[in-house]
Amino acid sequence: MKVLLMGHPNVGKSVVFNRFTGVDVITSNYPGTTVEYSEGSMRAEGEEVTVIDVPGTFSLEPKDKAEEVAVEMLEKEKNAVVISVVDASKIERGLYLTLEIIERGYPVVLALNMWDMAKHKGFNIDVNRLSEILGVPVVPTTAVSGEGINKLASVLKRARPIEVETISGRAGGRV
Amino acid sequence: MEYDDKGSVKDIEGDLRNRLAGMGIRKGKTIRMITRQPIKGPVVVEVDGASTSLDLEMAKKILVETDR
Amino acid sequence: MSLTVDERWDLIDRISRETVTAGVYKETLTDVIGEITIKPMTGIPVVIASLYLFWSIFGSFAGFFTDGFFVKFFDQYWLPWWQLHFPDTWEWLYYIVVGDPLADNCLEAFGMLTSGLFVAVGVVLPAIFIFYLMLTLLEDVGYLPRLAVLVDTILHKIGLHGYAIVPTILSLGCNVPGVTATRILETRKERFVMMTLLAIFVPCGAQLGIMQQVIPETMGLVLLYLVIGYFVTGFVLNRIIPGKSPEILMDVPPYQKPLLRNVALKIWMRMREFFTSAIPFVLLGVLMVNVLYLAGFIQWLSCTLSPLFVYWFGIPEATVGPLIAAFLRKDLAVAQLSVIEMTWYQMVTAVVLVSIYFPCLATFVMLLREGWKELLGSLAVLIVVVTVYGGFVHLVGILAGVA
Repeated sequence: MKVLLMGHPNVGKSVVFNRFTGVDVITSNYPGTTVEYSEGSMRAEGEEVTVIDVPGTFSLEPKDKAEEVAVEMLEKEKNAVVISVVDASKIERGLYLTLEIIERGYPVVLALNMWDMAKHKGFNIDVNRLSEILGVPVVPTTAVSGEGINKLASVLKRARPIEVETISGRAGGRV
Repeated sequence: MEYDDKGSVKDIEGDLRNRLAGMGIRKGKTIRMITRQPIKGPVVVEVDGASTSLDLEMAKKILVETDR
Repeated sequence: MSLTVDERWDLIDRISRETVTAGVYKETLTDVIGEITIKPMTGIPVVIASLYLFWSIFGSFAGFFTDGFFVKFFDQYWLPWWQLHFPDTWEWLYYIVVGDPLADNCLEAFGMLTSGLFVAVGVVLPAIFIFYLMLTLLEDVGYLPRLAVLVDTILHKIGLHGYAIVPTILSLGCNVPGVTATRILETRKERFVMMTLLAIFVPCGAQLGIMQQVIPETMGLVLLYLVIGYFVTGFVLNRIIPGKSPEILMDVPPYQKPLLRNVALKIWMRMREFFTSAIPFVLLGVLMVNVLYLAGFIQWLSCTLSPLFVYWFGIPEATVGPLIAAFLRKDLAVAQLSVIEMTWYQMVTAVVLVSIYFPCLATFVMLLREGWKELLGSLAVLIVVVTVYGGFVHLVGILAGVA
């Protein structure tokens, strides 16, 4: 199984990668630290999993070379499971990218990273309901402290491709 | 765009709408201007607690109705 | 099926209405600092203050270790020991490994184990350690994107947007990650301009360290020449290269407390890089220059290039040797220049030339990876710039009456 870590720049993809694989990748607090992908492996549920840390991107319509790399990676790995890492306190724009990935037919797991910060800022996210609507596993994580990382690895197999119409149907009435 | 403190986004012109979408700037959102650099420099705006800096020319394409 | 932008947002609205309740947003101290450092009225003074602070810590830390310890150690114990104990059965081997038997300091001796190790460990190591430490803190805190916003207006004049400050600053540590970082720039034109400017005008941490040590008084002038060259060349390139310069559109992340683990890891990785690749290169550089001297090649090249050097650049022909070393390591070249007899202004000219002339091998390889067309273009620009700008620096010297 192959897993792609995708998400906005600076949401902690590399930290998750580091937690998963034990491979040291350096991080910085500015967009674009990871401009090339790194690959590592881990064991999840007794299975060998290849994990790829993809450069950050805001959408699947790339605006610079690092984002192009991200989109190319996604297109190359047709059979991969994508972990969409989002900043929990900026969940809406994170969902934007997540939906784009779902629309392309990839099985997705949503990681609500920086969960501690989001709670601190007063955000409250109904994880179960979100998972129900999206039809994908949703896991709150705090990658820097390691919280939620094991859970994230254990739900990978539950990811399934899903139609956006189905999501739309479950999401309730028009605004 | 108005150079006021706060407002809500009414419309975004043309293809800029797509480019800003991923950053979370879109119709209906509350937007706050944090700063505008001198000599036609970029502006920095805040939407949903996330700061984004964009070119003045781009910023002009965002129509904002100010609160005041 | 795929949705349009508006449909997608509409769906997100419906999802988040059911699942997300945002708390009342409290403005925190970090937000306040974030805004202070990005508004021009307060942000620009902060830039100047940080630059000054950065510089004085860099100078005093590096000076403390180099002058306070390494210079004494290398000149008083290390060098005499090798001069005394290294077998002089073969004169040429002695010359390569230990250097001048009469030298009384490690800069003049110019042997692999004397000057080579002194430059690498005694001068450059403390300098890049403190440099990387401060750079890492700036990176991890999240200051760089704010700096990018502040300098956007200026950089637009040379066809780049503010984010180009990030590769530039990274290059001050080492040009190699600087070149990689150009990928965050949007257009090909922008990346080309940036790579060319990095390769020509941005000195690396190792070079800054050695300059601080051997030409502390005139270093400011050297840097001024490099900064002017950066902007003038950028301005010209922006005019002559087709293609558009994009507009800035960038996320500005909130400030964060740096994670100790990450800071330590980053410095460790960068220092390891220094030990495994930089030090061998310095030693190799000394070896190569010494062999070329013994073979008479450098003397021959000096004679051949002498008109260009003496009349056009206004520097002694002996500086040809260091320029060859500069191909491997710029820090080594500057160290070598420092022992050649010349006036202070000639020294400034020579150091400027070492900086802007051919990028070091490691950078060269990185540029090649980004595309050979770009590399050839950069080299063409480089040759023109070295010739014209070198002459210009000389001219300024003549006009000011110091050359």
